[in-house]
This record gives sequence, structure tokens and C-alpha cells, in this order.
Amino acid sequence: MAVGWTNPSNRPSFVSERRSWDESRARVIDIQLVTQLLVSGIVIGSRYALVAVSFGIIYSTTQIFHLAHAGTYTIAAYAAVVIANMLGAPLWLALLVGLLAAVLFGALMELGMYRPMRRRSATKLAMFLASLGLSIVISSVVQIIFGPQNLSLQRVPNATYFVGNVTITSLNIAEIVVGWTAIALLLLFLRKTQYGRAINAVRTNPQVAMAVGISVDGIYLLVMAIGSLLVGMSALLFLMGNVAFPTMGLAPILVGFIAVFLGGTENVLGAALGGFALGLATSLSGIWLAGDFASVVVFGILFIVLVFRPQGLLGRAAV
Amino acid sequence: MEKSRNGNQITGTSLSRRRLLQASAGGAMAAGTSRFSFPSYARAQDANPLNDIFGPGGVEGGEGVSIQGGMNLAMTGQGAFFGDVMSKGALLAAEQIGAAGGPAITITINDHQSGETPPSVNGVRKLISQNKISFLQTSYGAPSEALIPILQQNKVLTFNGGGASPKQLFQDYLWMTRMVFAYDPTPGALNWLAENHPEAKRLATIGTLENGVEALEQLAPKIWPEYSDGGEIVIKEIHDVGLTDFSQVIARVKSSTPDAIFTVSFGNDLGYMVKQFREAAVDIPIVGIEFTQDAQTIAGELYDTFVFATDYYDTTNPNPWNLEFVKAHQEKYDKDPEYYGANYYEQVFMIWDLMRRVLAEDGDPLSGEALQQAMIQNPVFKSVYGGDAETVGEMSFDPEAHTVSKPMGVFAVKGGKPELLQQIPTELVPPTEKPA
Repeated sequence: MAVGWTNPSNRPSFVSERRSWDESRARVIDIQLVTQLLVSGIVIGSRYALVAVSFGIIYSTTQIFHLAHAGTYTIAAYAAVVIANMLGAPLWLALLVGLLAAVLFGALMELGMYRPMRRRSATKLAMFLASLGLSIVISSVVQIIFGPQNLSLQRVPNATYFVGNVTITSLNIAEIVVGWTAIALLLLFLRKTQYGRAINAVRTNPQVAMAVGISVDGIYLLVMAIGSLLVGMSALLFLMGNVAFPTMGLAPILVGFIAVFLGGTENVLGAALGGFALGLATSLSGIWLAGDFASVVVFGILFIVLVFRPQGLLGRAAV
Repeated sequence: MEKSRNGNQITGTSLSRRRLLQASAGGAMAAGTSRFSFPSYARAQDANPLNDIFGPGGVEGGEGVSIQGGMNLAMTGQGAFFGDVMSKGALLAAEQIGAAGGPAITITINDHQSGETPPSVNGVRKLISQNKISFLQTSYGAPSEALIPILQQNKVLTFNGGGASPKQLFQDYLWMTRMVFAYDPTPGALNWLAENHPEAKRLATIGTLENGVEALEQLAPKIWPEYSDGGEIVIKEIHDVGLTDFSQVIARVKSSTPDAIFTVSFGNDLGYMVKQFREAAVDIPIVGIEFTQDAQTIAGELYDTFVFATDYYDTTNPNPWNLEFVKAHQEKYDKDPEYYGANYYEQVFMIWDLMRRVLAEDGDPLSGEALQQAMIQNPVFKSVYGGDAETVGEMSFDPEAHTVSKPMGVFAVKGGKPELLQQIPTELVPPTEKPA
């Protein structure tokens, strides 16, 4: 399987003559590096796009900073682990239960937290704080129940594929395919179905939507379920190649939140493209920057976009 | 139920002849020393194997003395695994010491949230001012380095058995109870790599800015060319602690075409890194400086390709104290102890030992200054490391540098468990230099 760099005669001929990053920076572009980073960027971008869309559909419709989405992510993963490891169920059933757990949890948050707060005229800030608090509570409770140790699913096969020296795994491919399929289906749903049009109507103007007979509460419940389903997918894709741990949801949701603002808060496609662009940029920054600059790149991009195009890349400027 | 003076609850039992005799003997001694709770004292004297190792309980063992201790750990966040195992070790030790007729040790834990400096400093300030701790067990590098002025000002004897770093050496009141993280095992690791993979000349190094920086930036570049007979470091990659996606690091490392990888990354990061390198078909040797079961859970069977060098704790060590430790840990927590748990367990017994020495000199066993003075006067302590079936191991501290000497080795992961490849000779341990 290995290319065998220990044997110099096996080194691919297109590798740059430069041997050390301490030498002149980027005079000669390393094609292998760029290609690998591009492939990794597509994987990371697809991952970010799915999370961004899951966060974005909730935010764009309900205007809630649903940070407890991190809890949904975590619960999906742990539900799958419990079913697979502790009850010995097959993988497909564990994944299904994980998705179901995510949807139910999302629905519960809408019915048990956000709807009562809306009925009591709670401000958006209050809802944000409640959501933030809940995300912390969930990770703490998960740690108390399951401990801080990593929990893995039964070994999921993960083959490695080569194109020259560039590698990609089967789970990486699954992330791309599943992620964009889910996003495409969601876009179709929003454009072509009655419920999708109702969501768009509520997103545009909830009062007018209510006036024409659309149940705004019902739509909020629906988008919460859809967003939770999508973030559950993202969590399970991560879990299959990695492990579950109590704080696993925080970093992806933060990225999703940034991607939504990058792409534009008004539409799902913007969120998807924002997430994809963010992932790609983060990965491609490796052509010039070391790995510890990744978070600098993420927040740097956000800063630049917010300063120069605050409505996001695909958003419309406020009038 | 009756309570002993250290707060442990003892279930009541029917009064047998044996217990009556024990109680009478204990009562006579207690009457003479004005201390009660002799049933538990008598039982501890008679039954506790730790008294065979550490000496009797009672007055000379500090029974009746209450001491407050603090821990500064990663109880939440990515490093919560460390805080969990460390606290388990320490709390078990406190319980055992109480049962062996030692002092009542109360431990309060502060959470530095996996390496954040503000909660470390604010939390430890609170432990000192409100809990009046006499000793502290800290972890990680940066959050411990930030505590140095506070510890010295308040004379709190402090141990770090986790993130021992060069900046923490030669510091009054701060002592490392593990070999300096990454720095001490680096020569042994690179020497093993050069000896066992003589074809490897181009070395990639990977680490974080949290700890191990000196090993990565100063030590490895200095010694690798010599050990490898003309090799070079072709890339140095720094990543964020807590990274789960190493694709960018892997791409950059791959492009520099190294023959081997040396990493000072730690915790879960190692598991993700090794797994993803192997999934990217990078099959060159990867050598590190740590093993945790949590990282092994992440990488699974792919971790069987990983080699590491450290002062590794062995649960199967037949050292009598270690056997007691492992047994007690299994009974209390239903699992084997591991490296960090062992370090923090030992530290609490060091405190007990120091208290004995101070009491023997009629000193104040709650004074951090007195405890440290006792440590400087005799820096040798019993250890769950080393030793053999007949003898308990020992560790000795450098009274100036405040470092410890423990056996180190190079290990390979086989079947998910470490297996010793070779001991690291002491001449390969780098000298401890006082920072300018």
C-alpha cells in the first residue's frame, strides 16, 4: 500500500526538488501537496457544508442562535454507540437510532424550550443564552453518564484509495456523497414541496405567513427536525471514522455558525457554499502555513467577510 | 454506622472476642495518647499491607491530622480523560492513607479546562485562599507554569506528574514527578529510531505549542543529525491541541518525503494522527513520547504500528506496592490504573511520607515550607515504578532541579498494549540545565 518513501528511487518524479520547508517559500509549487490539500479541502468543505446547512436552516427560519445544536450532534453519536456497543445491534440500526435520537432531541428543544420562551416573548438574546447553557449541560451530563473516555463504534471499514500519491478514504468519499446528497435533497424539498415553500414563506416573513394560514410553530418544529437530522448525519459520519466524546459537538457547530455568516444567513445554499469555501480555504492554506494557523484562517476569513460584505457572500445587502 | 476521624464510614459488626481484644489494646494506647477511634486504628494496624511498606499509622503516621490538598486538572474539555484518571489515583491514595492510620487528606479539585491558564490561576488562588491547601497536584505545562509565582508566594508544595516542562524546573515549591515531558525521552526515542531504522535520514517532527516545544525546537534538531549519521529534520509541523483532522498536517508532511516521523503530541491527538497517517498510506515509522488507552481507542489496530518512549507505568510490575495499588484501583474503579493515575497516586503517598518526616522532627506537617525542606533533606521516595517481586521501587529527586529519575523505555504497541522494546540508558537522558 505504501508509496515507499524510504526508497528514494520510488519517489514520484513530480515531487519538487526542494526538500525542506525552511528553504525559500513557495518559489516552486509542490503539485502533490496542492493536489492532496485540494482533495482534503473538498472533504473538509463537504463536512463543513453539511453542518452549516443544518445550522443555517434553523437560524434562517427561526432567527435562533441554536448553539444547543452541539448537543444534538453529541447525542446522535452517543445514541449510536449505545445501540451498537452496549446492545450489540448492527451498524445500520445504530446509525438509524442515532439519526432518530437527533431528530427527537431537536424536536424536544423546540417544544420544550424555544416555543415556551417565544410564547413568553423571550428575546433572541435570552434564547441564545438558554441554548448556550443547554449545550454546556448536555456535554457535562454526557460526561457524567459515560465518562470522559472515548467511545468508538465497531470497526467500520475504511479503505484507502490512491490517485498517484494522493489518497482519499472510503469514509471521506461517503462524507462528500452523503453530505451533498442531503443538501441537494433539502434544496429540492425547499423549492418543490408545499412544506418547503411554507418554510421559505416563514423565513421571509413569519407574520404574513401566519396570516395566510401557515402554522409558524409547526414550521419551526419542522426546520428544527430537519436541521437536527442533518447534524445527526454529520455526527455519525464523524463517529464512523473516529470516536464519540462529550465535547465533540462544540467545534463543528462553531464552524457551522461561522460558515452560515460567511455564506449568508438568508439561504441554505449560501450556508452550504460558505461551509465549503471555509473548508477548502482552511485546507489550502497549508500550502503556505503550518497546521496551527488553521483557526487563524477560519476566523480571519470570517473577519474579512464581515467587514467587507457583512451580508455574507450570497446574502443581499440590507436596505 | 460509626465514623472514623477522617470521615470514612465504617459499617458496624457484631462484637467478637478478637475485636474485643483488639479494641482493648487499642483503647489502652488511645487513652495514653488522647486519641480515640481505636477500633479503626487497631484494625488498620493489624490488616493494612501499606503499613508494612510505609510504616505504622497512629500519631507518628499523622493520624488525627487533617490536611487540605488541591488538584489542578483537566476535568472538562479534550483532556478530561487525564483529569479523570489523575483524580482517581489521588483520591484512592487519600482513602488508603486514611485507612492505614494516616492523616485525613481532603482533596479539592480545580478544573483548568484542558489547559486554560485563567481558570488555572483563578482556581488555584481560590484553593489557597479559601481551602487553605498545604499541597497541590497540578497538570499540563502552560497552566502550571502560570502558577509558579502564586505557589512560591504562598509556599504551597506542588507536584506535576503530567505536563512536566523545562520551564517548571529549578522552581521553588514545584517538583516534577515524571521525567520531563518529551524532553527526557527524546534522545532515547531518536536513538532507537536511528539504530533500528538506519535508512531513515529525513525526519519529520510534529508537536504542539502546549508542551514539548523545547524537545521539538532545540533538542531533536541538535541530536538527530548525530544519531542518524548525517540526517536532517525536513519539516516541523505544529498543530492545535485537540485537533481531530490531521489531513493538512499529513499533506504537508507527505510532501516533504520524510523517512520517519517523530512526534511530541499527546493525548487524543496522537490517536487521530497515527490513524490518519496510516489511512493515508504513510507507513514510515512514527515514534512518540506517550501512550494512553484513549488514543488507542481512536486508532484501534492501526495503533499497533506506533512506537513511543517514556517513563512508562506497568500494571504488571510485581513490586508489592504496585500490586496493592492495582488491586485497590480495580476494586474501586473496576479498571486497571494507568500512567497518569499512578503518578498522582504516588504523589499523595509522598505527602504522607513527608508529613511523617516533619512530625518526627516535631515540625508542622501542614506547612508547605516544612514539607519541602523535608523533601530537600531526603529526596528519595517509594514508587510503584521499578522494584521487583520482593522490593518496592524507589524514585529520587534532584534537590536543585526538582526533577525525578525514573526508568524509561522504548515501547511498541502490540495488540493495543505497550510492549517494552528496550530500556533507555541513563546516559541518554539529557542534562538538566538551569534556564538563563
